[in-house]
Amino acid sequence: MQLNPEIRTGKPRRKLRPLIGLGLLCAVLGCGEGPPAEFSWRPSTTDMIPAAKKAVQEVMKESFGTPQQLVAWERMPVDFGGVRGDVAAIQTPGEFTLGLADPALASRVKSGMPIVWLTGPQAESKGTQTAKVESFDPKSLLLVSTGGEAAVGDKLLVGYGSQLQLGRVVYMKNCTHCHGVAGDGMGPTANYLNPRPRDFRLGIIKFTSTLSAERAARDDIHRIITNGIPGTYMPSFLLMAPEEKLAAVEYVRWLAMRGEMEKRLGDELADYNEVSLKSDIGKQEEAYQAAVKAGEKPEKPMGLPKALATSAASFKAYQEEDFPTIIDETADFLAETWQKADDPASLVTPQQSRVADSLESRQRGRRLYMSDRTKCYTCHGPLGRGDGGAVDDFWPKPGTTEKYAQRGLHDLWGNKLQPRDLTKGQYRGGRRPLDLYRRMFAGIKGTPMPAFGGTVLKDEEIWDLVNYVMSIPFESRTPSKPPTAAMASMPPESKVDH
Amino acid sequence: MGKFWAVFFSASAVLAVALCWVAKDYNWWFPYNQEAVSTIGRQIDDLFHLILVIVSVTFIGVNIALGYVLWTGAEAATNGQKKALFTHGSHALEVIWTIVPSGILLFIALYQMDVWAQFRFKSQAPRKLDIIAEVTARQFEWRIRYPARGKKLMPTPQPDDIYTVNDLRVPSGLPVGISLRTDDVQHSFFVPEFRIKQDAVPKLVIPIWFEVTKPGDYDLVCAELCGWGHYKMKARVKATSETEFEKWRSEAASEQFFDGVSPEAAETEEVAQQSDQ
Repeated sequence: MQLNPEIRTGKPRRKLRPLIGLGLLCAVLGCGEGPPAEFSWRPSTTDMIPAAKKAVQEVMKESFGTPQQLVAWERMPVDFGGVRGDVAAIQTPGEFTLGLADPALASRVKSGMPIVWLTGPQAESKGTQTAKVESFDPKSLLLVSTGGEAAVGDKLLVGYGSQLQLGRVVYMKNCTHCHGVAGDGMGPTANYLNPRPRDFRLGIIKFTSTLSAERAARDDIHRIITNGIPGTYMPSFLLMAPEEKLAAVEYVRWLAMRGEMEKRLGDELADYNEVSLKSDIGKQEEAYQAAVKAGEKPEKPMGLPKALATSAASFKAYQEEDFPTIIDETADFLAETWQKADDPASLVTPQQSRVADSLESRQRGRRLYMSDRTKCYTCHGPLGRGDGGAVDDFWPKPGTTEKYAQRGLHDLWGNKLQPRDLTKGQYRGGRRPLDLYRRMFAGIKGTPMPAFGGTVLKDEEIWDLVNYVMSIPFESRTPSKPPTAAMASMPPESKVDH
Repeated sequence: MGKFWAVFFSASAVLAVALCWVAKDYNWWFPYNQEAVSTIGRQIDDLFHLILVIVSVTFIGVNIALGYVLWTGAEAATNGQKKALFTHGSHALEVIWTIVPSGILLFIALYQMDVWAQFRFKSQAPRKLDIIAEVTARQFEWRIRYPARGKKLMPTPQPDDIYTVNDLRVPSGLPVGISLRTDDVQHSFFVPEFRIKQDAVPKLVIPIWFEVTKPGDYDLVCAELCGWGHYKMKARVKATSETEFEKWRSEAASEQFFDGVSPEAAETEEVAQQSDQ
């Protein structure tokens, strides 16, 4: 074999030098930190006219901050963390003994944590509080603060936001690569997954224990993190430290609220969308040209620059008059709905215990399954294989008459959705009878799975249906005895006494 | 210069032996610096120790010889008294250093057969062996199915099966069997403290067995790079006494068939949740 003569005659070291330089550069860049994490914006925000976009982004940054600088907005019903206490005894100015409800909480107070005064002279002083814990002795509970004087009995909050910060760390480590920094379900690995990771920004979690109109309870998110979702790529984080799990739950809720806030502001400001404005102007212009060609004398439509200027002017007035109210109302709405989700009254709880899982009960369930009251079969198929006729139809997008490009069912996020194959015995929202009951009572949020509870079906009927659905994976699948044959011998549903 | 190399090579050998000697004190010995907690693991450890002894004796002997040769050679070279000895080889020596290692190798191969057979051959596995669970690996978690109390594990799911995820419960003090499967790609069931490692291969159901000797929580990890989330495939093996295992199984069953109403089920649910914390 002959070696390359060029290499032999040249000065190899010099020739390699640029290569070595390039390699070093790659090494330095490759091992660097990469770009800072950012909360992405929805198209509804980025498509706004500049003034509106700026206003919305400023509100969002003020209320929620950036991934580097989180803002714990006290109006959101999130447990931001921190230890509540009061001043038990004053030693010297700025040095006092911390009174705690539970002495075990002392271990959570660390030096450097911010102090928020809830009562007393420092709470009343205007402007942002900058007091911090300079040092703290967990045994004597002696706290040295950087702030001014305090009086005995003043209430304070040490380390406000610490739970959110821990949640961020846990989330960034375990969740971001699928669910994305902003919880938009657009992390780097998201494109390889089917079903796609959840986008929290609609404020909707699919598998919950709450009524169909309610948001997800803390326990629901906690359960999903602990158990994962079978049949999807959401893994189980059973071994995660309990405090990390709780922090992740709060962070996910906070991201969902943040996303919903942005979405709702975008909906409110739909009139100030630059993209739709441009397309409207384009259409008007086209109509005008067509009319001119036809020999008519139409009125000349407004040009784009003028339309943008008008829109900007009207937004200015809107921003001064209505926008603060809108922000207030949205915040109130979010606080109320998310608070309500954790209310025991929002929980779906059967009034009646499970109907005994007998053949009769399953048959009653089977009849309901095939009935027009529930229409289960239209999606899940007559044999429960998830192949009902609905998957062959074109369905309209929610709230519009426009239809999806693809046949079949879609969820609220626009992903194509296969009705669950009930023969597999795989239950994404949990396999307890209670979980199946809740799926049927309250539906699956963000999907075409309807809520039957309270209106369509009575408790015992839902239990019959649960018994039938739970028996589907174990039905004999010999071709001679399909379940439909058994149907034929049953009395029609109208004769069944309810 | 020759003497430097003689000392250098001898010193590195001494350092290797010394590091090995103190490894246990520095937690460098075995996974978690711990003896195996399964019977088969103990036997595997014994094999390891045996091989370690053979290798150590050989290593030390070879290095003493090497050091001696280097040192005397260097000495001779500096004095300039002796010329190097050039040889075309020795038939007798070659026969010896072929036969002796072959003998050692053959000995190890025969000696370990029992352990291997016990671990891998059905005929050598314990007679009274209950398959207590089916472990299904998937990207990226372990899903586990247990038969109901008093029943045998069936190859296909049964209505009263009990399910957990990333949480393998086993009774300690008696041999238990596991059916290992995978839902997608290859994974590997690895419990370092048991010295049990078995690949899960698509479409195969692979039996494994072990007897845990000490109750406790152990790590179950995936030992086959299975995708981007491979590092997330960490589960817990919780070995308890047989009575506690059965108690857990009843609790898990009533939790799994909880309908949200029956009070006795509600109580056990709370208990199950507390024990998770």
